[in-house]
This record gives sequence, C-alpha cells and structure tokens, in this order.
Amino acid sequence: MFAYTIKRLLTLIPTLFAASVLVFAFIHLIPGDPVAVLLGDTATPEEIAALSAEMGLDEPIYIQYAYWLGNVMQGDLGRSIFFQEPVTRVIADGAETSILLALMTMVWIVVLGVPIGVIAATRHGGWIDQIASGGAMFAASIPTFWLGLYLILIFAVTLGWLPSSGFPSVFDDGGLANLRYLLLPSLTLAAPNSALIIRLVRASMLDVQREDHVRTARAKGLHPAKVALKHVFRNALVAVAAAFGFTFAALISEAVVTETVFSLPGIGRLVVESILRRDYPVIQGVVLVIVCLYLVINLIVDLAYAWLDPRVSLK
Amino acid sequence: MTAALATFNQVFRGRRLALLGVGWLIIVAIAVVFAPWLTPYDPLEIDPVARLTAPNAEHWFGTDHFGRDTLARCIYGARMALLIGLGAVVVSLVGGTLIGMLSAYFTRLGHVLMRVVDVAMAFPALLLALVLMTILDRSVTNTIFVIGIVYTTTTARILFGMTLKLKNEVFVDAAVVTGAGHPSVLFKHILPNLISPLLVQATFIFAFAQLQAAALDFLGLGLPPEIPSWGNMLAESRVYVTRASWLLMFPGALIILTVFSMNLVGDALRDAIDPRFKDDIAGV
Amino acid sequence: MALLEVENLSLALALSGMLKPVVDNISFSVDAGDTLGIVGESGCGKSLTALAIMGLIADSPIRITGGAIRFEGRDLASISEAERRALMGDRMAMIFQEPMTSLNPVYRIGDQITESLGQHRKLSKKAARARAADLLRQVRIPDPEGRLDAYPHQLSGGMRQRVMIAMALACDPALLIADEPTTALDVTVQAQILDLLADLQEETGMAVMLISHDLGVIAENCKDVAVMYRGRIVEAASAADLFAAPRHPYTVGLLNSIPDPDADKDDLEAIPGRVPTIDEVIPGCAFHPRCAFAQDICRDVRPGDAIASKEHTALCHFPTGGAE
Repeated sequence: MFAYTIKRLLTLIPTLFAASVLVFAFIHLIPGDPVAVLLGDTATPEEIAALSAEMGLDEPIYIQYAYWLGNVMQGDLGRSIFFQEPVTRVIADGAETSILLALMTMVWIVVLGVPIGVIAATRHGGWIDQIASGGAMFAASIPTFWLGLYLILIFAVTLGWLPSSGFPSVFDDGGLANLRYLLLPSLTLAAPNSALIIRLVRASMLDVQREDHVRTARAKGLHPAKVALKHVFRNALVAVAAAFGFTFAALISEAVVTETVFSLPGIGRLVVESILRRDYPVIQGVVLVIVCLYLVINLIVDLAYAWLDPRVSLK
Repeated sequence: MTAALATFNQVFRGRRLALLGVGWLIIVAIAVVFAPWLTPYDPLEIDPVARLTAPNAEHWFGTDHFGRDTLARCIYGARMALLIGLGAVVVSLVGGTLIGMLSAYFTRLGHVLMRVVDVAMAFPALLLALVLMTILDRSVTNTIFVIGIVYTTTTARILFGMTLKLKNEVFVDAAVVTGAGHPSVLFKHILPNLISPLLVQATFIFAFAQLQAAALDFLGLGLPPEIPSWGNMLAESRVYVTRASWLLMFPGALIILTVFSMNLVGDALRDAIDPRFKDDIAGV
Repeated sequence: MALLEVENLSLALALSGMLKPVVDNISFSVDAGDTLGIVGESGCGKSLTALAIMGLIADSPIRITGGAIRFEGRDLASISEAERRALMGDRMAMIFQEPMTSLNPVYRIGDQITESLGQHRKLSKKAARARAADLLRQVRIPDPEGRLDAYPHQLSGGMRQRVMIAMALACDPALLIADEPTTALDVTVQAQILDLLADLQEETGMAVMLISHDLGVIAENCKDVAVMYRGRIVEAASAADLFAAPRHPYTVGLLNSIPDPDADKDDLEAIPGRVPTIDEVIPGCAFHPRCAFAQDICRDVRPGDAIASKEHTALCHFPTGGAE
C-alpha cells in the first residue's frame, strides 16, 4: 500500500506540471499585452514597467514560466485587479463558503443517493426500482440553476422558510445556524449528483449480484439483507468510491452556477465575476487551485480504490 | 425500412418511457423545421404594451419584459438547442474518435496523446468551458466549439478503450494479413464496429450539451444575449422570477423534457449495443 | 428413511412470460452417508436440480413446476424462508464449479469461513477462528493459521476449492452437494480434490451428491449413479451395475467416450451430434436423433418410466442387455 501510494504520487507530477503550463499559457492566449491584461485598464506605465521586469517579459517564455512557477511555489498567485489584494487572499475569503457547500452537498448525496440506489438494486425490476431509476434520470436532466431558482421561489419567496441568498460566515453572529443559508444551495447541487450516484450504486450492485461469490454467500443461509449489504454493496463500493471522487471534483466546478444563483460569496461565484470583470490574475489563480484540488481528489480516490479492493495494491 | 423498424421495435419494446422520449424529440424536430408556421409572432419583436403578460389566449406562454411572445421564443429556441447539440456532438465525436482510435492503434503516439487527454481532463468540464469562453467571444460557433472540446476528451478515452478491445480481434489480424493499410484497418475494419456505441455516446453528449449550454447562457458566457435560446431566456427571467414565473417555467420545462428524452433514448440504445462496450459509454 | 428424497421433480425456466421445461419428472434419493453421482452433458438440467435442492433459485427465472423435495423428512416447499435458510450452510452445503469466482474477493479467507459459523452456531469470534483453522487443516491446507488472513486472489485454484470445501464443512452438514467441483481445475489437482472429498466423507459421515459431466469422476467416487439427458433421468443404478452392464444407449455412449489409459486410442468414440437446446421440440425419445439403435417407435413414442427392473432403470424402448 505504501509503495503504491508513492508510485501514484509520482504519476501526479507530470500531470500537475502540464496543467500548470496550460494555466500559465492562458494569460498569453488572451489578446493583448499580458502585463496590461494582468494589471487591467487602470494601470499606469510605471506599474506596467515594474511588473514586466518582475515577470521577466524580455526573457524567453520558458524563463517567464520559471519565474511564475517560482512565485506560485512561494504562494504568490499575483494581485487581483478588482480587489487590489493578493489573489491568495481573495481565494481564501471564498474558501469557507465553497468548502462548507461541498461538504453539505456530499452529505446529501450520501444520505439520498446510496440508500435509494441500494433499495432500487435489491428490488430490481419492481416499481420501486422503476421510480428510483427513472426519477434519478429525470433529476439528472434538470439544469441546476433552474432548480435553484425554483427552490428560491418556493421556499424563500412564497413560504419564507429559508433565506434566498448570501452566506454569513459560521464564525459570525448566528454561528452554525448560518448553515441554513446553504440548505437550498446544497440541495440544488445535490440533486443531479445524487441521481448519478443512485444509478451508479444500482448498476454496480446489479453487476455484483450476478457474481458467483454472492451465490456462495446465499448458500451459507445468510439473511438476504446481510447478503445485500455485506457481500453485494461492499463489493459495489469499489466502483462507487470512484464515482464519489468524480462527483466531489465535479461539485467544485458545478458550484460555479449554484453559487451564482444563490449569490454565495464562494470561489465559484468568484470565478464567474472575475471572468465578467476581466480580473485575469484571479481567474488564473482559481483555475490553478481547482485543478490541483481535482488531481488530489483523484489521487485520494485511487488510494481508496486500492484500500477497498485488496487485488489492486498488490499488482 | 422494415429492417430499421424491426431494430426500433427491438430497442424500445417494453420501454414506454423511452418511447415517450422519442415522441417528444419528434415534436421538437417539428418545431425546428416549421418554426415560422407554428406561431404568428416574431421571437424578436418587442411589444412595450404587452410587457410581462401572464399566459392567456393570445400569448399561450405569456410574454417577457420586452413584451416578446414566450411561445415564439421557445419554438425558435428549439432551433438553437438542436444546433448546439448537433454541433457539440460532431466536434466531440470527430475529435474524440480520431484521438482515441489513433492512440489505441499507434501505441507510441497513444502514450503522448492520452497524456494530453489526461491533462485536459484535470480541468473540470464546466471550468474548462468557462476558461475557454474567457478567451473567446460570445458566439454560436464558439459555444459549440467550447462544449465540443469539453466532451472530446471523454470521447477520446472511450474510443481508446473500445479500439484496444477490438485491436487484437481475429478480423483485424485477418485484415492486416491480407495487406490492408493502416487507414483501411482503422476506418474500414475497426470503426464500423464502433458506430453503434458512438451513436449511444452521441445521444448522451447531446443531452449534456443542452445543460452545459444553458449553464453558460445563464452565467452570461454562452450565446450572445440577443439570440433566443432556452438558456438565455432563463438567464433573463431571473430578475422577474417573482413577478413572472412563467418565464422560468416554460423554457426550463423544455430543456428538462429534451434532456430527459435524450437520456431515456440513450439508455435504451445502450442496453441494445454490444455488451462488451456497454460499460465504456459515459452516460447518466 | 432417506436423507434426501426427490420425487417427480419438474423445473422450468420462466422466460418472457413462457415456462420452458428444463427438468422433467425426476426422482431419486440419497441415504445418510451415501454418495450419489449425477452425470450428464452440460445443459441436461443436473446443475439446476442441485440449485433447486439447495434453495438457490429464489431470485432466478427457475421455477419448480411439480413434485417435491424432502430433506430429513421435511417437504422443503412447506417450510418458511427462515427455516430454509437455517438449513442452508448448516445441514446442507454446496460447493461450485468455479473456485476462482466463488469466493468474495474483498474478504479474507478466515472471515468467509467463519461467516456460516456465526450464522448457525453463534460461536464467538475466537472460537470461530480456531474452528476455521481446524477446517483448513482438515482440507489439507498447509499453514492454516496463516492462510486465514489471505485474500482469495493469493491462492491457486485448487487451494480455493479446498477453501470452498472447508467453508461447506464448517457446520458439519448432513449433505454436501458438489456441482462439478473439479471441472475448472488442472487434471492433477482434480484427483487430489476428489480424494480429499472421499476422505472427508469417511471422516464425517456426510452424504455427497456429486454432479459431473465426466463419468470417470463419478465412477471412482459414487455408490449410486443417475444419468441425466435433456432434463430426464434416463438411467439409474448402483455404480457397479451401471458400469458393468449399462442399459441405455446414452450411458453406453458416455462410457465409450471415457479415455482409458490401457486401451487403444481408436476405441475412444464420442457420442455423435450434440445436446439439443431447450427450444428444440423432439417427439418421442429425446435421445433418438443421436442414437444408433433408434427405430420408428423411438421417433414417435416417449419411453415411460418403468421399462426395466426397479433396481436398474433405463428410459429406453430397447435397453441393452435387457428385454431382447
């Protein structure tokens, strides 16, 4: 397992390197002088000259990349044009909202997706199964922002039960009760993703149910529920674990839409607003952070895979 | 023709929901073709007197904040939906098929190309689309291109896996032995076996593309705002949601029905294809 | 009283609303401690019969359409699901053809063996583990304590089949159903597993129902033999009688196709033709298209059940060595 972890970590490096090159190149793909792009329209000639020197713009492009990468390694992602603050600060400000939103969404996905998927599989072909899998496919066909707007319309505007927008920090007045601001956003984000998990849990369980070892388990006289959970679900979990990783990673980018709908001060809305404000240093920084996060999650998924399936780590 | 009917019957037998999906897609197709004849209103015509009218006998789906007829805009929006969906399917299938097949067939090239695909897949789908739209202008072509690019990587992965499975089959060896060149082996012997899984993949990409395009429109980074697409209609409706919920309901329902139908059809088709490729398809 | 009695059992496959008969009116019994061999080509219904006896057809398209299965005097159709499960893995156990896939890949060997002990014997973890190590020793696995912590993929096919046998023996069953236990194994390993089964039977006194397509395997291990062809038992006798004087042409064909190391190669002959699929309707005797002795009556009239004497029955209009 240890050797496998090291091996898997090493394969991360080239991908990370290539991704960083792409993110670096992004600024150079935008029409116009990169320095002017990075500093925005209000920059003075002195500022432009200073940043040009810092970025080494008169040097060859790979030297520029080296400068940039060196800064990134030291935690310097540049300065936001709009906020006039370091990009790392701006991202850190949005982190709490986005992390809490993602966690709450994952809780919904696990609580809704897994049991429904398991029940659908054990009732394969019955009406519960048909409603669950049909409903899941329907849920996956709903645009998240549409669902979000409707939830606002029903629960915030008409019924007045929940707030429709914003999120005060849980460290402010109100404490954990402020999480109610994330209730509708997390449900919105969970809907299509739970649907994917339901269908995946169901399909994996049906695959495992057909395997010979399940017949062996039944031949031991075990209760059907025990067979379903201990022998079928546990084995299906190997495939489901991978899906959880993909889903969590997908949440990062899907949160862009949800945070915009609910005006949440998270990283997702920061991306959209930075794009609309042409605040390129922030876009570059956020993309880099998200890609790193995405790769790390995939790494964790692979390790979970090896841990869940004893056959993997020994290969 | 009878053969086509027999296949259709085989795929959809006992799948009432999927048949309803086919029915809905036919309705959308009719709307696409006969749009100008289906509504007396021009989707772009502004009528200041009739701003935000609720659905009534004259305007079945009501009007928006410029007094434009929502039904007319919905019908013309179907054209955009079809264009975006087909465009994204063509871009991603052509690109993905080439990359995937060549990578599986030429091992050395594959090492390089599939690493590139891996890196591209390190960018979450919507984020990649957003970043690309930052660099590009808002236009129909660019939206199609960006969504197509996003699904090119997935398609490439899938085609890579499927081609690998076929590469060592006897019929491929036989073709090589009889002197078939690489292009002939790839496109005359391997590709025809992959057509039906590709078709299934196409239905799912079509469905995803609708959701992606709507999300981009909503964020103000998709089609130009003056184009009547379902996503743009929803984006504009946001401000008026509390006063004019029909602006949210109708275009949203159209997107959901279309995506749901496509997914149902894709699901039915997937069950009908060669079981070896079933798990390769990335669908709902 | 017989341990297991199967009386006029008929099974059918429920496919798209239709019932296709797969096992037709078969009867046999196994006494405590005895060994019954069931032999036939694949698709003859022998495995389905085993699954039906074991109670593993609940979630499958197989349906019991007639007859009764009695185990230790109880009609298995009359008892509840829970009572049925109380028998499975305890009084009756089963081992399968594919040792490579019949063990759960994600659990350790020890966990899988102790599972039925926890289910039926309510043993403590420690006691169950000790019992599991004993079982592994009993099936001649070296270093049994160490193997308890191994995963199935770390063992060879023969070892895995030994583990399957150990699992089946965990609760001292009165009946062990072995469905093609050696088919997937190497020839040398086959003999070891069969010897092991014979030894264990002697040690424990359990009855064994051995199912195989290989008459050679049956010949060496069984007291009684039933030959199945296309869902019917076409010949039943003691092993000694059957091999000395086979009466059904199909049995004769099977015997002739056993490779005999002492005989000339030329003597080896396969039965012509193939097993018909369940969709084919064959009037008369189901074996007549492949039978060298078939006459007009064989094409039209299905042979009844009581053609020959009670001790040695053969479903044939013209049993060899019989009524000429």
